[in-house]
Amino acid sequence: MSNHRSQRTTANKSNLLTGALTFGALTFYASFAFAQAAPTVTIGCVLPLSGGSASVGSQTKVGAEIAVDQINREGGIKSMGGAKLNVVFGDSQSKADIGVTETERLVTRENVAALCGAFNSAVTFPATEVAERYKTPWVVVGAVKDEITERNFKYVFRINNKANYDAREQVDAIDLLSKETGKKPKTLGVIYEGTDWGRSHAANIKKFASERGYSVVLDEAAPPNQVDFSNQLLKVRSTKPEALIVAFYTPDHLILSRQLMEQRLDVPFGIHSVGGGTEDPAFYKAVPPRAVGYYFVQEDFQIDITEVTKDPMILEADKRSKEVLGYPMSAYTAQGLSGVYVIKDALERAGSADRTKLRDALAATDIKSGPALATGYQQIKFDEQGQNTHAHGAISQNIEGKRRTVWPAENRAPGVKPSWPVPTWSERPNS
Amino acid sequence: MDPFILSFAVVNGLLQGGIYGGIALGLSLIFGVLRVVNFAHGSFLMLSLYLSFWCWNLLGIDPYLSAIVTVPAMFALGYFVQSVIISPLIRRERALVVEPLSALLLTCGVFLVLDNVALMAFGPDVRSVQLSYYLPSLMLGPIPVNIPRLIAALAAILVAVGVSFWLRHSHAGRAIRATAQNRDAAAMSGIDVPKVYAVTFGLGCAILGLFGALISPFIPATPTIGLAFGIKSFIVVVLGGMGSIPGSIIGGLVIGVFEAVASQFVTATSAAIFSLGLFILVLLVRPAGIMGKA
Repeated sequence: MSNHRSQRTTANKSNLLTGALTFGALTFYASFAFAQAAPTVTIGCVLPLSGGSASVGSQTKVGAEIAVDQINREGGIKSMGGAKLNVVFGDSQSKADIGVTETERLVTRENVAALCGAFNSAVTFPATEVAERYKTPWVVVGAVKDEITERNFKYVFRINNKANYDAREQVDAIDLLSKETGKKPKTLGVIYEGTDWGRSHAANIKKFASERGYSVVLDEAAPPNQVDFSNQLLKVRSTKPEALIVAFYTPDHLILSRQLMEQRLDVPFGIHSVGGGTEDPAFYKAVPPRAVGYYFVQEDFQIDITEVTKDPMILEADKRSKEVLGYPMSAYTAQGLSGVYVIKDALERAGSADRTKLRDALAATDIKSGPALATGYQQIKFDEQGQNTHAHGAISQNIEGKRRTVWPAENRAPGVKPSWPVPTWSERPNS
Repeated sequence: MDPFILSFAVVNGLLQGGIYGGIALGLSLIFGVLRVVNFAHGSFLMLSLYLSFWCWNLLGIDPYLSAIVTVPAMFALGYFVQSVIISPLIRRERALVVEPLSALLLTCGVFLVLDNVALMAFGPDVRSVQLSYYLPSLMLGPIPVNIPRLIAALAAILVAVGVSFWLRHSHAGRAIRATAQNRDAAAMSGIDVPKVYAVTFGLGCAILGLFGALISPFIPATPTIGLAFGIKSFIVVVLGGMGSIPGSIIGGLVIGVFEAVASQFVTATSAAIFSLGLFILVLLVRPAGIMGKA
């Protein structure tokens, strides 16, 4: 309803007053919070607000809320007569079936103009299918499973990396550090959570490893919510990979990292985590610092972005994140922020909340500046499959308690010297 | 298979199995006496973990010392849940026979309420105790044995022995056993059956309180952690024999060692499937469980 009304108020100036009054009456029923003269555009975000990925989902939610507040404060969607943005959330509970029904609800009941979400690849994959069926644009936030943007869908757009990019970047970093030092691991191990994300990451790692001449000696999946990793770690001990690639969400990653320390398991060329748990600020609060020393973390976010950006909106988001969550802007907060700004950009250009027009505007996205780039990209532009080809991650190493970007080499701050190979447990102080 | 890796796997399995067994003790005890399948078992463990965490976080109490808070607190909570929530169900049944299904559904409700209240109250963040001191691993030959896990596994055996002894030799223990055997006869002999029930439920939860404190140094607290342990506890208890105290420990050790050794040959995920296969096999041969009385 609000969509039609908003078109008319912009199209027909003479009817503005009547339109505004009618709209005011309509929105009065719809929402007390937004019962004001300007029309509202409702967007929906499906996120894991409970279940195993709840910590991540709530950070993304905060990011999206910060973006909506900023946009509305700065005058809303200007091409739509200052339309206010309203975001409604659906809780996927980190489960695919719930994510799908929540998507249906947001599309049919909440009548959202566009969707975003859903972090978990296992949820995003089927949920975007629903969005495609209802011809509702979906801006993918967080999920990296390759196939999400490989199905010739018209309504699905992904800002962040594909799993494929993540894996390539991890192997690139190992290549780079080997070239810099002349010391190269020959064998890799990969240990991962056994749902869509972990599995597709492991498959990609294996592909790139064989192309670049590494042999994969360990390939171990574990279902989510483990209480013990000693069995898997014993396999690491017996197969002796020289570098270990890890993909787990926060609770599992925490137990794994602690047990790696407890068992004093040495992996000469280090632990290479592809985010998940190690991207989550809550993780670092819950793990002893010595357990994550020398960790390599690949994430879709430049960890020191607030030191390099001058964008006031990003800096404000970082401040708000500290107030709301108690820690600085994380990859997840930044992704939520970025997702909403990308939709806002498309709304501005479409001048309408019509889903098809919005879809066409999203497809023509070409963002080179502003808070949409909070994750550290230089550009957002989608290919015909809806994938942002300018997405890239950054890899940091935890050196002396600080996570410093080591890859790409251009992003490495002066004075940062990667530790390669990493010291053994017995060589580390206080362990 | 390399004998070093194999013996390492057995050590890991014994440690983890002991912990599984210790956590399952309360479930087995409650079922043995009340015939109530406590679906909220894992949630009580989750609460104990949080309790231990907050003791450490807010009051600076060492997680091991926090047992002096968690054990009585969980006993009180268990006593309360039994006497206020489950007891009316038992009272409604004239012959003091609980429909196992209705009690299961009731505790299932308790589980949903507790897990979601924890999510609302504590948020989804993973929280973890960090010991201020460093416990070096004990070296068993070349095999490092994690001390906190060893403490938890040994405590499981001690608690099992202690509870068995107490049930056998104390007045209250005899009252509990009498109630378990025949509640009508026990009531006629002057035993306050509702009180025995509440004490037993409280005791089952108090054991979880202890284990919450013992595992908090290495298991992080999340609102959903209970389910993982809850399901394992069911498998352990049914395998060991429902209601049997030693059966709970033995069931835990069997599952722990089996999964540890099997996962050296197949992925750990498949090993868990095989352990369920073993579970079915044992129940086919001994339907009452390893230590259960048919």
